[in-house]
Order: sequence, then structure tokens, then C-alpha cells
Amino acid sequence: MRFSKKVLLFLSVMGPGIITANIDNDASGITTYSVAGARFGYSLLWTLIPTTVALVVIQEMVARMGVVTGKGLSDLIRENYGVKSTFYMMAALLIANFGTTLANFAGWAASMDILGLSKYVMVPVGAVSVWFLVTKGSYRAVERVLLFACLLYFGYVISGFMAKPDWIPVFKNTFVPQIKWDSEYAILSIAIIGTTITPWMQFYLQSSIAEKGIRKEAYKASRLDVILGCSITDIIAFFIIVTCAATLFPSGIRINEASEAAIALKPLAGEYASFIFALCLANGSLLGVIIVPLATAYYICEAMGWEAGINKTFREAPQFMWIYTALIVVSALVILIPGAPLVSLMILASVVNGILLPFVLIYALSLVNNAKIMGEYVNPKSYNYISWGTIVVIICLAVFFVVTIIMPAGGKI
Amino acid sequence: MPFFSELFVSEILRKPVLDPRGEELGRVKDLVVVKGEPLPKISNLVIERKRKLFNLQWSDLSIFNKRIIAANIYGARLQSYELSEKDLLVARDIFDKQIVDANGAKVVRVNDVKLEGLNTEAVLLAVDVGMRGIMRRLGVERGGEDLMRLLRMHLPYNLISWNYIQPLEPKLTAISLTVPRQMVADLHPADLAAIISQVSHKEGAILFKGLDAETAAEALSELEPETQAAIITGMDTDKAADIIEEMPPDEAADVISDLSAEKAQEILGSLEKEDAEDIQELMGHEEDTAGGIMTNAFIAYRPETSVKEAIESFRRDAEEVETVYYIYVTDAEEKLKGVVSLREILLSPPETKLSDIMVTKFKTVTPETDEMRVAGIISKYNLVALPVVDSEGFLLGIVTVDDIIDRILPPAAKHKRRRV
Repeated sequence: MRFSKKVLLFLSVMGPGIITANIDNDASGITTYSVAGARFGYSLLWTLIPTTVALVVIQEMVARMGVVTGKGLSDLIRENYGVKSTFYMMAALLIANFGTTLANFAGWAASMDILGLSKYVMVPVGAVSVWFLVTKGSYRAVERVLLFACLLYFGYVISGFMAKPDWIPVFKNTFVPQIKWDSEYAILSIAIIGTTITPWMQFYLQSSIAEKGIRKEAYKASRLDVILGCSITDIIAFFIIVTCAATLFPSGIRINEASEAAIALKPLAGEYASFIFALCLANGSLLGVIIVPLATAYYICEAMGWEAGINKTFREAPQFMWIYTALIVVSALVILIPGAPLVSLMILASVVNGILLPFVLIYALSLVNNAKIMGEYVNPKSYNYISWGTIVVIICLAVFFVVTIIMPAGGKI
Repeated sequence: MPFFSELFVSEILRKPVLDPRGEELGRVKDLVVVKGEPLPKISNLVIERKRKLFNLQWSDLSIFNKRIIAANIYGARLQSYELSEKDLLVARDIFDKQIVDANGAKVVRVNDVKLEGLNTEAVLLAVDVGMRGIMRRLGVERGGEDLMRLLRMHLPYNLISWNYIQPLEPKLTAISLTVPRQMVADLHPADLAAIISQVSHKEGAILFKGLDAETAAEALSELEPETQAAIITGMDTDKAADIIEEMPPDEAADVISDLSAEKAQEILGSLEKEDAEDIQELMGHEEDTAGGIMTNAFIAYRPETSVKEAIESFRRDAEEVETVYYIYVTDAEEKLKGVVSLREILLSPPETKLSDIMVTKFKTVTPETDEMRVAGIISKYNLVALPVVDSEGFLLGIVTVDDIIDRILPPAAKHKRRRV
């Protein structure tokens, strides 16, 4: 194949991998990276490389399933493991994604606060405009908004440079792993993996690839899309950590939220860096608010066989519209109620996410090895060692993460 | 064995099967379905004992209801059963799969299967696609009923008769079901398109293959460009060319321009020369301009044509043309001179010349005109079609009102399955 033709082929299938990866850096991702950078400087940067590898291994399998079967992950789980597994998995996904939506609304509210806008105005405005954009707008409008929002992530790269980091220790810490026997260090490094590899994005990626109708012949291009997307995710993460590590860490500023990072950046890296940081947080949060509730409603309805589609009315697709609307409305309300148990709800969601992830990964791996579904595209034997290895490590970390949250005796977070 | 009741398959899965002494033969694992008149029927039960599978013939059963299943043979006479891809099993192959509900024109998922006694057989009466089916599978149907009663609501049954089902998986078509594929072909093309856009492209292509070229062409033009390209690419060139030939040239051009260059060349090569030229001409224009949405199928006669002659030619020409309400009047060089409405022609005396009744003040656009401007003109002057002419006045094509509506307001079926 000539080179120009290869480029054309890639352009026609690219998208799902890159968009999925970008949305992965939503409010909770940005928060984790900021906290990690502020608390431990550059010393956690090395975790990004194994995380990227694990992400690529998993996303590649999921993307391959999407290309070969033309079906979403929730469809495949329903068709091969029956209604019970699917139902509990979807129920867990609903709770976990409620937490994710909540986190994103919280990120939106906080970033608006920094920009001097009241959350009591901006959260309802955000919720209502997202609801209308998605249910009443055309697909083209939504897609344009998404692509534009993805571009905005590069703001973090700019703020990374504005923080004027010392590049030599940055690269040294990126490529030379160092392990500290500190419970907070351990939990944060697991949190970085946990926020990067989430259950819902596996569903999202496979569906959007199936949706795009990418053919088996174009699979290699699709794989490139996935690898590129995963790399972009972690490059953005890298710059967030670098920004906070270069500015907040030397001053000993400890933060718990991404918005605090934006505020703390003002005296240290200048008004613009702070502004860009807040704007990117707002963007990432809003992107999450657009995608996560919508994606959740879709997977649940398709797995359960309910009518789905955003151009349908409450009468035509009741479950779909109610799940979608309730996720947005309830999350927005929780943010607005003073004294609502925001933190415990988000912790609950991350516990559910942590419990859900092993199941999703095991189902995905057994599906991708099922010759009846995948034909000649099952995992090669050698690749199976890598994928099982990756998944076992992630499962151990997820279990450890859940245990430390439920029984905080070991950690001090 | 007589069986005079109704039951859902999920109610008997994992139930014990008893021998005449009341000892357990095994537990129900699955049911094998075979072709039957008028509905498919159960031919045998697959039962599981100590992790081994056994085959129990329907004729060996003495009691079969949701409380008791008993056979009139003993364990020693049971034959072992090998899982085979040839058999159609209810739980393995029908449960949880997507099917087309041809009655409601939508894709649904099978939650449960309902059996009914007919003479001495158990036949597949309906599939359960509702909430009740899900609850029954989860074992909480009773609880759900109570909850709904508390809320003063009724938990509806949502069953689709087997007659209205069309399977999507090729596996299900292996046994010939009572209702042939015809069901789907009888749907409105827009409904068909909605169904195809809801299933995987592979399944969509299977459904498509069962359609005749004309229906397929109509359904195809209702689909998203990406889906169109995926389906056409998956077909062999001759079949694809047949379908493209049935489409109006403007829509055909849209479909072909989304294909890979090789596939497009192949298809254009197997079209009739005239059709291929029409399509290629249209492909040269920008997508969101008058040139990109116009069709070059229109009716045009000379000014000296009489109304009588025009009507005769019209009978012949209108067959091939989508929009027939305006007859365009062109001179020998094909420059547009006037427009006559169909109504005017029908109401005029037969010997009148077209030049006498044609309107000479009419709106035209050039191929480069933006689609929104075209929409504005069509809306302002209440037109059904708007002629597209080049700078010298040659008539190139017409933009019809339905094409412009599709551009500014994409129909529901063209929306994606998942809009995320």
C-alpha cells in the first residue's frame, strides 16, 4: 500500500481511540494527577509508562472486539453470559458512573468558582445546556463540540511549559522508577492507574468502534488510533503532574482537589497558567458530563434490550431518557445542596468502579479468546500471557485499592 | 404426551426431571427446537446430571408443567448428548439475542420464551421482550409485581408473537421458521433503515441481502453515510451495482463518494454507461452546495412541443424521474427557457404549445450556491424543485424539496445508533 493511501485509511478510522482517551482525563483524572504532582513532585511520573502500556493492552483487545463483532461490549456480555451477570454489571456501572458524573459536576462547579462565576448559576446552566445539546441538538453539533473540547486539553501542555519545570529531573523520574514505602505514595500510584483504566471507557471505546463500522481490513489503522489515543491521555497526564510538581511541590503546598491546584498556581506560575488550568478543568468536566451519562444510558438500554436513542421522547424510550436525565439532574442537585455527602458518594463510586473493573476485564478477556465470536482474531498465545499478566496486576491493585478505602487503617488518606 | 398450558422457559430451567419412581434424572439445561407446523416445537430436553449432558426425547415425557417435569423412562435408558452447533437451543441460541420485531419495526432483545401446548406438542408461542421477562430471569418477578402494585401501577406483559419475529443471527435462520424473511421486506424502507442502523453492520448486511434491489435502494438512501459505505463495501459488486442503479442519481452519487476509490471505480464500471456518467457528473460538486444535492433526473421538453405530445412523452419519462411536478422547457442547446407546472399542462387544451403557457420568470441557482440559500429560496417561493443552471444558462439539474429537507433536518433514521 502506498504511504498516502495508508494515511487516508488511518484518517478514516481514527477518532474512537483518541476521543475515548481524551475523555478519560475528566475531572477525577485531573484531580488525581494534580494531587500526585503536588504531593510527590516528579517522583510518580514513572507510573505513567506502565499505565500507558496496560491501557494499550486492554484498549487494543476491546477495540479488536469492536472491529470484529461490530457489537458493543455490553451486547456481547449479555449474549454470552446471560441476563443475570449483565444486570448486576449494569447496576454497578450505573452507580459508578453516577459518581463519575458527580465528580465532573464538582469539577465544573469548582472551576467556575475560580473563574468568578457562582456554582448556583453555572451548575444548572451546565446541566440544562448539556441536556438540551444532547437531546435536541443534531449529532453534528455534538461531534463538533466534542472535537473542539478535545483540542482544549492541549492547554495543559501550555501550562506545563509555563510552569518552567527543570526538564532533566522530569525525564529522569519518567524513565527511572522509584518506589517509596509510603502508604500515601502507594495509594496515589494505584489511583493514577485506577483513574486511567476505568470500566466505562471499555464499553465506550468498543461501542464507538462498532458504531463507526470499521472493517477488519482497516483494523491495523484502528490499532494505531488506540495507541495514539492512549499515548495522548498519558502525555496530558504527564503535563498536569509536571505543572503541579514544578510549582506546588517545592513550596510544600498540599491539595486535595484540582481546583485548589489552579488557585495555588496563581502566585507561583502566573495568572495565565492558573486561568488555563481552570479552563481545562472546566472543559474536561463538561466533556465528562456530556459523555458519561449518555454512554451509561446507552449501554444499559442496549444490554437490557430497551429502546434507546436521544432523538426519542420519554414515551418512546422511557428507560433511556429517564436514566440519562436522572444521572444529570441528580448529580447537579447533589452538587447544589449545601452539606451533601459529596466525598462519601465519590468514594462509594470509586469503590464500585474498583470492584467492577476486574469483572469487566475478565469478561473482556474471555470474550476476546472465544473463537466462536472472534474467529481467527482471538488473542495469540504469547499475547495472552501479556494480557493476563496485565489484568492480574490491575485486579490486584484494584482489590488493594478497594480494601484500603473500606478499611482506612493502613493508609492515612 | 398432552401438555395443555403455557409456561416460560426460564421457569423450568434448572428444574429437576423425575423418573417414574420420583428419582431425579437430572436438571433441565436447555430445550432443542425444531421446525413445526404452524409453529416451531420442542423436540427434546437437554438435561444435566453430574456435569454430564443427556438427551431426553419429548415423547418420553409424561408430565411437563412449571411445577413438575417427569419422564416415563429410567436413568439407565438416557442417551448422552453432545452440544452441537447444528441444534437450535432455546437458552443458548435464543435467549438474550437481538431480534427484529417486524410488527413494531424495531430491534429488541429476547428475555424469555413462552411455550404453549398444542395437541401433544409444546410450541414456541412468543418471546418476552419486556421488564417482566428480565425480572423472571432474575427471579424477582413476584417482587416486582408487588412493588408495582404498591405504586398503583401495572407491570405489563410485553410479548411478541413468534409470527412477528425475524431473527438477525444467521444461526436462527438455519431452521426454517414459519414466517419467512418476507416480514422484514414488507416494512417501510425508513423503518428498515432504522432497524439496520440499530444492529451490527454484519447483521445489517445479512438483512440487506434478503431484500430486492428496489427496497434495498430505498432503505439504503435512508441510512447514515458510514453505514451505507460499510454495507455496500461488504456486498459483491454486481449486487451493489443493481442497488445503486435503483437509486436516484443524486443519492447514488452520495453513496459512491463515501466508498473507497477502488470500490467506487468497480461499481461505476459495472453500471450502465449512462447512469455512471450521470453519477460521476454529480460527484464533482461540493457536498453542501446546490451542485452537491441536485439530481440530474428531470423532465425537459422543447418550447414548440404541444401539450398533447408533452403528456404522451411524460407518461414514458416520468417512470424514471423522482420529481415530476415541473416540466422544464429548454431550447435546442439545452438552455433553460421556462417552466410549466404539471397542473398547467393538464388544464391546457391539447394543441397549446409549451412556449405559450410556460412561465419565463423563475428562480434559478448556480451549482456553487450554498445549500442554506437554496433552502431559503425553496421556502420563500414555496417551490417543490429549483432548477440549477450554469453561468450560461444551461440546465444542469434540479434540487428537490425533499433533498433540501434531508440536508437541513436529517431524518430520524439517519441518526446514529449511539450518538456518543
